[in-house]
Amino acid sequence: MVNGQRKISLGTLVVFALVAAFVLIVPSVTSGYSMMIVNLSLIYAIATYGLSVMLGMGGMLSFAAVSFMGGGAYWVANLCTGRLGVSMEPWLALLLAPVVFAVVGFIIGSILLKLNGTYFTFATIALVQVAWCLFQNYRPLFGGPDGISGIATLEMFGLKITSYTQWFYVLAAITLIVALLVERIRRTQLGRSLAAIRDNQTAAQILGVDVYHTKVIAFTIAAALGALSGALYCLQGRFVSSDMFTFERATQFIIMAMLGGVNDTFGIFLGSVLITVLPESLRVLQKYLKIVYGTAIILLMIFMPMGIMGAIKDGFKKMRRKKREALMNVAREVKP
Amino acid sequence: MKPILRLEQVSKRFGGVVAADDVTFELMPGKVKGLIGPNGAGKSTLLNLISGIYAPDGGDIYFDERKITQTPAHKRARMGIGRTFQTPRFLQRSSIRDNFLLGTDLGDKLGYFKSYLGCRGSDFDKEFEKLLQITHLEFDWEDDINSLPFGKRKLLEIVRAMLAHPRVMLIDEPAAGLNNKEGEYVMDMIRYASREQGIGVMLIEHSMEMVMNICDDIVVLSFGKVIAKDEPKAIATNPVVIEAYLGEETDD
Repeated sequence: MVNGQRKISLGTLVVFALVAAFVLIVPSVTSGYSMMIVNLSLIYAIATYGLSVMLGMGGMLSFAAVSFMGGGAYWVANLCTGRLGVSMEPWLALLLAPVVFAVVGFIIGSILLKLNGTYFTFATIALVQVAWCLFQNYRPLFGGPDGISGIATLEMFGLKITSYTQWFYVLAAITLIVALLVERIRRTQLGRSLAAIRDNQTAAQILGVDVYHTKVIAFTIAAALGALSGALYCLQGRFVSSDMFTFERATQFIIMAMLGGVNDTFGIFLGSVLITVLPESLRVLQKYLKIVYGTAIILLMIFMPMGIMGAIKDGFKKMRRKKREALMNVAREVKP
Repeated sequence: MKPILRLEQVSKRFGGVVAADDVTFELMPGKVKGLIGPNGAGKSTLLNLISGIYAPDGGDIYFDERKITQTPAHKRARMGIGRTFQTPRFLQRSSIRDNFLLGTDLGDKLGYFKSYLGCRGSDFDKEFEKLLQITHLEFDWEDDINSLPFGKRKLLEIVRAMLAHPRVMLIDEPAAGLNNKEGEYVMDMIRYASREQGIGVMLIEHSMEMVMNICDDIVVLSFGKVIAKDEPKAIATNPVVIEAYLGEETDD
């Protein structure tokens, strides 16, 4: 069967079990500051899922996620303080953020994706710098270096989301939904077309893939997820300032994706949690952290280019192949 | 009957090299046209011009009597121009299934949104079974495409192109790197495509045995120029063709 249903594999079950354990165990063993760090890792994961669509599926390296994250955050900050004379319920602002920035992302993507490969990547770096400069200096919209504070509390279904533990559940639910939506892309035509573009643009065209259009769609999705992540960040902390949306943060997202597995839905989550939580628990090593970090990235790129999940998957594939070869050898010996 | 593909004085230059020089011919549905010539004669360039990877410097290309000279490659693919490459091009880190679904995606024309929402295209199972029967292929759907040997991958690329229901198939050196048996499967496949499915096939191939066996007529290229157009038998004895391949005879 070409286009029939796939079986649910053992790997999928293991992943779901791990996610369930994470959601059940983490809130009972963490609280306060460390809970906030875990929450932050989920917020980053949402933005990194956008990167996974761009880089993992489509092979396009974009730094722009952080700028759209800023866009989403300031969108919420302005509308939920009423500082521009317009105010909105936080939940509505949150819901609209990805929609509005999908449109913005579509326009910016349509322009930037006229460039190819490295040129496109450099253009996204420029975008990050321009956006950061605006966030930092343009007071009317972004509050300047002081940022924007006093943002209204998120209220959903009559419940005020205030404690970090409550936020954990909200964020875990949203991250899970985003992860499933992104995984769905991989399993449908858009994901396959992006994979075709990543592997060989000429072959993709021969298979009827509109390369430019497909890339713009991926960029739009990444922008929407970035904005969602930013909106959540802003609502949880009830404060936003420009030092969140630097080029360094953009690099961090890429490292998260690379560590976990750039083309693996669970890997993105894993990478985000590891890169956010580990430095916090390794505080003793603070002085040497960047050296460890840098060395780890170099080693990772050499030995596990597809990240932790990529390495695990390759291991399983090898085992399967060996098993089959062993079976074939047995069959050969049995034959007279 | 009208030709499904027509080239009219198509030219292409790369710097000083003339890769296609005033090439004119037409391809009828259900026929197999061989494209032969010495190395560097511009055969693959011509396929690239037809499938839209290159734009010609002069002349026009018509598909089903519609001018497609300026049509981008992906639209030509959707119109029904299928293509395989000398070295098969697949998704490198994906399963065989995903690689095939790229072919059925093109055949279905569902679009990203409908596909995302779970709409299913036509059922390819029967068709697929038939194609695998012709090519004698067996494999595990979830295997990596790279776990298959080169010959099988080449056959699979033709199967994938067929799944998209093309009306013209451009096949670039299908037999290179294949063993005799696999070469025969390729011929069976080309016969099935042309005779039974009515697809117009353009075939580049160095194996003269295959070309002479399967082609209805042959175009011979040399330095981008068409030097002969005829039936296989006539081509085999054509002095101009022999000269192009073996060099001029001299009286010593």
